[in-house]
Amino acid sequence: MDHNARVARLLAAHGIELARHLRRLVRDDDVAQDLLQDTLLRAHRALTRLGRGANERAWLYRIATNAALNHLRDRKRERAALERHARERNGAAVEPDTLDTDRREALWRRVAALPERQRTALTLRVADELEYDDIALRMGGTAQAARANVYQAVKRLRLEGIA
Amino acid sequence: MTTINERRSAEDRAVERIVLRTFANTTGRDGEPLRWTVLDDTPVGTIGLASGAAGLCRLDFVKGDEHFVGRLLEAFGDRPLLRTPGALDEVRRQLDRYFAGKRLTFDVDVDLSAVSGFSLRVLQAAVRIPVGDVLTYTEIAAKAGNPRASRAAGNALHHNPVAIIVPCHRILRSDGTLGGYGGGLDKKEWLLEHEGAREPSLG
Repeated sequence: MDHNARVARLLAAHGIELARHLRRLVRDDDVAQDLLQDTLLRAHRALTRLGRGANERAWLYRIATNAALNHLRDRKRERAALERHARERNGAAVEPDTLDTDRREALWRRVAALPERQRTALTLRVADELEYDDIALRMGGTAQAARANVYQAVKRLRLEGIA
Repeated sequence: MTTINERRSAEDRAVERIVLRTFANTTGRDGEPLRWTVLDDTPVGTIGLASGAAGLCRLDFVKGDEHFVGRLLEAFGDRPLLRTPGALDEVRRQLDRYFAGKRLTFDVDVDLSAVSGFSLRVLQAAVRIPVGDVLTYTEIAAKAGNPRASRAAGNALHHNPVAIIVPCHRILRSDGTLGGYGGGLDKKEWLLEHEGAREPSLG
C-alpha cells in the first residue's frame, strides 16, 4: 500500500478520535492538526517497518499522546538548533553545543536541498515561529498551502531519517 | 446558556475541520466528506453504512471496519472519510426496526448518483417492489425499459450500492430459485423470509 492509501486508511478509521484526543490535550486547533499529521507520519513509518499490530487504535493513541506531550520540548530543541546554525552562517563564533555536528550538518544539507517553498515555509514555521496565516502572508498563497508545505518538508526529512 | 449538546457539537465541528484539513494536506482528498460507520451483529451479519450530504450512498455487507474503509477509499477517490456514527443514527434506528420486524419499510434519503442509465432504472424499479412481493429478473428488466436485458438487470442488482433499503433481494429467477446476491445467498434468503415473501426453509 502506498503512502497516501495508508494514511487515508488510518485517517478514515481513527482520524476523528485522534483529532479529538489531541485537541483536548493541547487545546489549540492548529497544533492539534500538526500533531495529527505528525502522528500519521510516525505511524506510517512504523507500519512500513513492523506491519500492523493487533490493537492499532491503542497504538495510535500512544503515538499521538507522546507527540502531544513532547510537542513543546521538541519545538524548543529544533528552534535552538536552527538558531545556532543561523549564527554560524552569519560568521559568529561557533558555540560548543550538544547536538552532534555531523547530524546537524546533515540536517542543514537536507533542508537546503528542499524545494524552495517547502524550505521557506519550514524555516518561517520553525525558526521564526510564525503562524500559518503569517507564513501565507509572507509567501503568498493560503495558510493551508503553507501548512502543506511544512508538512511535506518535515515528511521528506523524516523519510530521509534526519529530523 | 450553552447546553452540553451545543458545546459538544462545536467541538465536533472543530475536530472534523482538523481531520478534513489533514486529509487534504496529506492525501489530497478534498471532496465532500463521506461519513461512515459499521454495524456489527445484525441478523444478516456486519453492515457498513456511508452517507454524504445527498443521503445514504452505501449499505454493504462487509467483514469489518478495515474491509469497508478499503472499499470506500477505492470507490470514492477524492472524498475524505469521517467515522461519525452519530450522523448515521437515523438509518441505524430504521434498520433496527426493520430487523426487529416492527417496521419493514424505510424512509431514508438514498444517493444513487454513482449509478446511471439502465442500471439506475433497475434499482429505481426495485425500490417500488412492495415488502413481501418479488419480481423475476425478466420482469424488472422490462420495468426498467428492456425486457430482454435480464442479465444486465442482474448485474445492476449485483452492484446495488445500497443493499436492503434498495431491495435488490426481492428479485428471483423465473423458476422461483434465488438467483444471486452480492452479500451471499443466505442473506437474501433471510431477508425474503423476514419480509414474508418466502416460506422459511426446513433444516
